[in-house]
Amino acid sequence: MAAAQNHLIERLPRSDRVHLLALCRPVQLDLDEVLCAAGEAARYVYFPVDGFISLLTHGDGRASLEVGMVGREGMLGAQLALGVRRLPVQALVQGSGLAWRIGQRAFRSELERSVALQRDLNRYLYVLMAQLTTSAACLRFHGIGSRLARWLLMSQDRAHAQRFRVTHEFLASMLGVRRVGVTQAAGLLQRRGLIAYHRGQVTVLDRTGLEAAACSCYAADLRIYDDLLA
Amino acid sequence: MDPLRLESAVPDAPGSAIRHGDRAISESGGLTHRKSVRYRTIDALRRAYIDPMSKPPAEDRGNQLLSALPEAERQRWQSQLEDVEMPLGLVLYESGGKMSHVYFPTTAIVSLLYVMEDGASAEIAVVGNEGVVGIALFMGGETTPSRAVVQSAGRGLRLPAQLIKDEVNRGGPVLHLLLRYTQALITQMAQTAVCNRHHSLDQQLCRWLLLSLDRLQGSELAMTQELIANMLGVRREGVTEAALKLAKIGLIRYARGHISVLDRPGLEQRTCECYAVVKKEYDRLLPARPAP
Repeated sequence: MAAAQNHLIERLPRSDRVHLLALCRPVQLDLDEVLCAAGEAARYVYFPVDGFISLLTHGDGRASLEVGMVGREGMLGAQLALGVRRLPVQALVQGSGLAWRIGQRAFRSELERSVALQRDLNRYLYVLMAQLTTSAACLRFHGIGSRLARWLLMSQDRAHAQRFRVTHEFLASMLGVRRVGVTQAAGLLQRRGLIAYHRGQVTVLDRTGLEAAACSCYAADLRIYDDLLA
Repeated sequence: MDPLRLESAVPDAPGSAIRHGDRAISESGGLTHRKSVRYRTIDALRRAYIDPMSKPPAEDRGNQLLSALPEAERQRWQSQLEDVEMPLGLVLYESGGKMSHVYFPTTAIVSLLYVMEDGASAEIAVVGNEGVVGIALFMGGETTPSRAVVQSAGRGLRLPAQLIKDEVNRGGPVLHLLLRYTQALITQMAQTAVCNRHHSLDQQLCRWLLLSLDRLQGSELAMTQELIANMLGVRREGVTEAALKLAKIGLIRYARGHISVLDRPGLEQRTCECYAVVKKEYDRLLPARPAP
C-alpha cells in the first residue's frame, strides 16, 4: 500500500525500511497536541502518514507564527542528525491522523546503521532550512491574501481532504496577523469563488485558482523538495 | 557545491520518473520543459509526495444532457443553472421527499438507492455527467421512494424545479431529450435488477466499477468498502472478498478508501453481459457530443 506511508520511509532501501519500521510504533496524532515544546529536548521522532504538524515560533508574549508544516513528505526530529535534540520551534498537531513514532535513542542508532537514512535526513534538513528561509521572505514581502491562499493549499495537501476546520482566530495566529486581516482576506478569496468558508469549515473550491492566488512560495517549496527528495 | 544540483536519482526510489536529460516521461500530472531543467506541474509535485491520494483535477467536460440542449433552451437556463459542490454522502433527495432542484452532475456521481426498513440498502442506478437526477420532477410524480446520494464527490449544475417543469410543459426538444434519458435510466434499473438476481458478486462489482468509471475522468475512485457494500446490497465482508479477488488478478488496486482500476479491458472481460447491455442503450439513446 505505497501511498499509505511516509515518503521519507518509502524512499529507503527495503532492508533499512523494514529495520526502521520494526522499531516504530503507529500512533494517532491528536488535533492540537503539542509534540514538543520550543527548546525542549525531543523524546520521539515522528514520521507522519496522514496527520500533519505545524512548526510554530513565538514572538514576544503570546504572539505566534507558523514557520513550517510537516506532513507525509517529512518528519519531526531531523535535528538529531546534527547531534542536537532540541528544535527552536514548537511542534503542534494541525491535522489528526496516523504517524510512525520512534524513540530518539533508537532513531540515533538507526541513523548510524543506515547510510540511506543519513543521506535523506541531511537533504531533508536542507529542505527545512530552505522552507524557513522562504517563510522569512514570505512574511516580509507577501500580502496576507496570498499568504492565506498558500497556507490553505499547504493544509489541504496534508489534510488529504478538500475541507477542514479552522477558525479565523487560529489562522490569525498561524499567519501572525490580526484577526480582522484574516476575515477580510478570507472574504476576498470567497468572493472570488476560490473557497467556501462557513462556520469554521473551509472548503477549497477552485484549486487552480487558489494556486494562482497564492504567493510563489507554495510552488518554490514543492520544487525544492522535488529537487532533493524526489 | 550548489545543493540544488545534487544528483537526486536514487536507485531504490519507487516509481521515480527519470529526471535527467531532456526526455519527458509523463506521469499523470504532466511534465513540461524549460531549457534543460525539467519541471513537473505543481499538481504532479503535490501528488508525488504530499497528497498522493488526491484526485487529479477533474477535467470538467460539463454535463452531456445540457450540452445536447438546443441553443435557445440553453440560453434560457444559463442564468439559472447554479454550479454547486456535491460532496461525498450528500443526500440530494430522500425517499418521498420534496425536491427543490434537479441536478446535472459534471464531475460528481450520484447513486439512486432504496433503503429498507431495517436499514439495508441496494443501488438502483447510477447517474453521472451523462444524466440528470430528479426525473420525478418532470415525469409528474413529484416524489419517488428512492433516495439519491452522492457516491463520488465532485461538482454539478442544479436547476430550480419550476424551470424544468415549465420547459417540459412547453413540449419540444427538451422534453424529448429527457424522455430518451429516462428510457436509458429504466434500462439501467432493469438490468441492475436482473444482474443482482443472477450474477456473482464479483461480476456485479466489476459492472459497478465500470459504470462508475464511465462517468469519471481517470481511473481512481474514492470509495470505502462500506459504501460499496451499501450499493451492492451485501455485507462488507462480501465486498472485501470480491475486491481481493479482483486485486489478486491485477484488475484493481485497493488501498485506504481508494480503488484504482489497473486493467479496464480485464474488468470488461470479467464482468457479466449486463454492463454492455446498459452501455449500448445509453450510447444509442444519448450519443455523446463534445462540450460546447
